[in-house]
Amino acid sequence: MPSAAPISDTVLRDLVNKAMSDVLITMLALNSKLVWVSDDHPGEEPPPLSQNSPLVVGAVGFIGDINGLIYLHLESEFAKLVTCKLVGLSPEDIDSEGDEVVNDAVGELTNMTVGGFKNALCDMGLPCNLTIPSILRGSNFTIEPATNALRHVYQFEADGRKMTADLLLQYNE
Amino acid sequence: MRYKILTVDDSKTVRIIVKKAFKGFDCEILEASNGVEGLAVAAKEAPDVCLLDITMPVMDGVEMLTKLKSDPLLKSIPVVMLTAEGGREHVLKIAKIGVRDYIVKPFKEELLVEKVMRIVDIKPLSEANQRMKTIFDPAEILVVEDKPAIVQQIQEGLKHTPWRVHGVSTTGEAIDFCGRTIPDLVMSSLSLPEDGGFTLFRMLRTNIKTKFTPVFALVVKTETAAQQQALQVGFSAIITKPIEFSELETRIAKAMNLDTSLRYFAIEENSLIMRLPEQMSPITINEVTSYMKGKVSGAVDNGVGRSIIDISKLKTLDMPVIKLLFSYMQSCSEVSIQYVLVGNAVVIKECKGFEDTKNWTFFDSLELAKSSFSGEAAPAATAAG
Repeated sequence: MPSAAPISDTVLRDLVNKAMSDVLITMLALNSKLVWVSDDHPGEEPPPLSQNSPLVVGAVGFIGDINGLIYLHLESEFAKLVTCKLVGLSPEDIDSEGDEVVNDAVGELTNMTVGGFKNALCDMGLPCNLTIPSILRGSNFTIEPATNALRHVYQFEADGRKMTADLLLQYNE
Repeated sequence: MRYKILTVDDSKTVRIIVKKAFKGFDCEILEASNGVEGLAVAAKEAPDVCLLDITMPVMDGVEMLTKLKSDPLLKSIPVVMLTAEGGREHVLKIAKIGVRDYIVKPFKEELLVEKVMRIVDIKPLSEANQRMKTIFDPAEILVVEDKPAIVQQIQEGLKHTPWRVHGVSTTGEAIDFCGRTIPDLVMSSLSLPEDGGFTLFRMLRTNIKTKFTPVFALVVKTETAAQQQALQVGFSAIITKPIEFSELETRIAKAMNLDTSLRYFAIEENSLIMRLPEQMSPITINEVTSYMKGKVSGAVDNGVGRSIIDISKLKTLDMPVIKLLFSYMQSCSEVSIQYVLVGNAVVIKECKGFEDTKNWTFFDSLELAKSSFSGEAAPAATAAG
């Protein structure tokens, strides 16, 4: 398999930003703004989304001529609001349905975001396929990339709330 | 015919969004969460369209599509891919297996409905499936007219109805309004600058939410070329200025498919009342005639055995109205409904002028007519005098 040429930080930033904003505006009618990028803050972790609220994190990977994974972090309250908007249910209905509905909605939003990002990679000559979404719930997440993987973190603001996209990227040898 | 749409997606969220998108349409949504389930539902239900995701556990969408297209019984089911897997080469590869359309997530619900509508003729849920709206129900009417006096006239002319008339003066304002509220009917002037009325009509017809909204053209009576053009492009009706309001009201009710029968028919104290308004235009006569038989048989069904024909508001009696009255009386006689008439001095006098009506007898009021059924009152006047 030929080795893929690294993509510049600026291009990656634009691709992630476009994928995120397309999903938020199309599915949730929310405008988003990229407010923090790890490339501008070497060695720093992004500002925490919340001090107290637990997080819901969607993860979707892409495998092919380029491999990677994006974790999408949302505060659990924001995740619930987003789910309400997406499926047209009230917060009470969401509560009665349980965490599964929120997990599924966050999984699907992550799937669409990663889809948009990796489709652009495909069109740049790096064919790859999506993996099935998975969900993590909890607090104080720290992502430790493998030694041969690159990590880029992007924080967005939408509807007065913040969300973080954590991209891990591995070029084939 | 109720179309079946199968959504195959491992995400419950997407299946809910699909159901939400088609909620207002006369179709059934079937669900499957992977390719194996999808094939089973397809074989059992023979859906009219299949919306198919790619990345799914157990069996992915590409495998399901391949199996579907190689099964002689299932291969004719049109498939629309609905997936986050895009990329030019990917799409081309899958298109070769045989799909009718390809939607890359994220997607707008309107786009999904529009693409499916290109394959099957799904319609918004008919009024018959919901409670039929009547002339007493509120409705939103949008008037697009750059002359405020006309908007005011329409608001004034329809103020006795429960309809809310909103006036805007430009195409842009009309589109903004439709974005916020879907109107039940739009009336657009054809004299807006730069053919704005026609532009607006096209925009309303291409928007999935206003595709079936009745659109009336407002045009000066003498501008026949514009009227002709409006009919050709498909405006629901032409309303000429100066506006004749009783006709406008009838046309609005008809276009919105409202039940107007309550304007003419009611059951009160075990009697079927037929009330004719002051003026009986040909449109009104047709309208009353269309409800007549159904109302009479409905009354019989409900055990009502008598009727009062109230023409006390009528300003003049002519042959079409007399024909209508005879037809109603005959319908009543056929099912043994006893009927009496309530009139006014003018119609009683006019009845004398016709051979067939000169012997009709009238009560002065509805109350007297009602009490006549218990033998407490006799007609106050006969047409013969």
